[in-house]
Amino acid sequence: MSKRAIDTVFEALFTLTDLRVMLRDTAPFHELDDDEKKAAEEMIRTLEGDIKVLREELIR
Amino acid sequence: MKCTADIDVRDVDESCINIDPIQVGGRLTADAMKAVIAYGDGYSVCDHCRKPFRLDYIKKPPIQQFHKDLAKFVNMDVVRVVPGARRGFQAVAGTYVQKGDPVLITALSHYTEVLAVEGNGGIPREIPANTDNIITAEAAAETIEKVTAEFGRSPVLLFLDHFDYQYGNEHDVRGIIRVARQHDIPVVYNGAYTVGIMEVDGKGLGADFVIGSGHKSMASPAPSGMLAATDERAAEVFRTTAARTDVTGRTFGIKEVEMMGCTLMGVTLVGMMASFPHVKERVKHWDEHLSRGRRVIESLERIVGTRIRSEMPRKHTLTRVDTLKSFDRIADTHKKKGFFFTSELKARGIAGIIPGATRVWKFNTYGLTAAQSDHLARAFLEIAEKYGLDIE
Repeated sequence: MSKRAIDTVFEALFTLTDLRVMLRDTAPFHELDDDEKKAAEEMIRTLEGDIKVLREELIR
Repeated sequence: MKCTADIDVRDVDESCINIDPIQVGGRLTADAMKAVIAYGDGYSVCDHCRKPFRLDYIKKPPIQQFHKDLAKFVNMDVVRVVPGARRGFQAVAGTYVQKGDPVLITALSHYTEVLAVEGNGGIPREIPANTDNIITAEAAAETIEKVTAEFGRSPVLLFLDHFDYQYGNEHDVRGIIRVARQHDIPVVYNGAYTVGIMEVDGKGLGADFVIGSGHKSMASPAPSGMLAATDERAAEVFRTTAARTDVTGRTFGIKEVEMMGCTLMGVTLVGMMASFPHVKERVKHWDEHLSRGRRVIESLERIVGTRIRSEMPRKHTLTRVDTLKSFDRIADTHKKKGFFFTSELKARGIAGIIPGATRVWKFNTYGLTAAQSDHLARAFLEIAEKYGLDIE
């Protein structure tokens, strides 16, 4: 069992959910202000880290 | 984009400003979406269900505490979660209404209240609305007298919508409840359009029951809702089973008859719970939502011929508008008929109004950001301008 992989899958899904809500809050044009861009950047960085962990855990 | 081979992704709220009159208060919070991801399986909240085996006793996730918090939230004594407000109406009607009993509703009551009465053999009688489509305490008093004379006894129950689904008008719930109490008529406060978006004080209003809709106003998945009662009424509506089967002699512990045992056993409940902290907070900001909605109304009123059919000034973000003498005039000659309006709104990223509607229609601005409500207000004016309607 890879608890780390399980946790990472949820973390990634939750981060994607936060991005989804950002899309909702900024609909219909999705023009992000500086704070929103910063938050989006942080979320994307988290996702990139999650993908790296999943590679390590599942595709060894 | 597809979810599965046959099911499209639903992305209306990501792509557009959604002003569907019944959808906006039920949009999930991020936390509810996350809970939905984790608790999508059938009996997902039942992993730690132990004796006495009832939903409202489960401590992990903290369902027991949620029930207490929810009761406090609407200032009532006892709460159960139910699969939609309608199942709350049904539980109350199932407890108090017998065949042939008169039951009061109003001229603007939701149809599910009527079905709940009918399902138990009751006879609905409506309190009429006045010319402004408001239900008053005076009308309630007159109707009680009239119905009592007709049936030789008082109505057994009164269903009362604080804000109705047709106009989003506020009705004199406090005054009407006072009148009902003088006649010992239990009152069901229907908060489908209030609980979860504005503060509700059930006992302060004198209600016997407060019913809320999770999917309409509590940022929760459907079907979800809540039925709250005073201690006195809770003993009646949440009575437990007394049955013993004849062959096997089985009994069923403390399962509640009207609840059919447990109610929301998975994603609906956990969605409600996950949104609840946000819901508790957002009700404190109702005025901001109202004020954004009013900005949109001001724009619509500037379009000559447009009439707001709901009470003014607006006290709710759900509004009924009459554009017979504005947008509907364009529809008369446009090749797309009323769909021109839908297309123009869609081109501006706005969805949720009944496709083709240009006569009398409803919309709801609840939950929009300031930028989104400004965009919506501008969009109505732009469309009017484009088609040569006069703007004041």
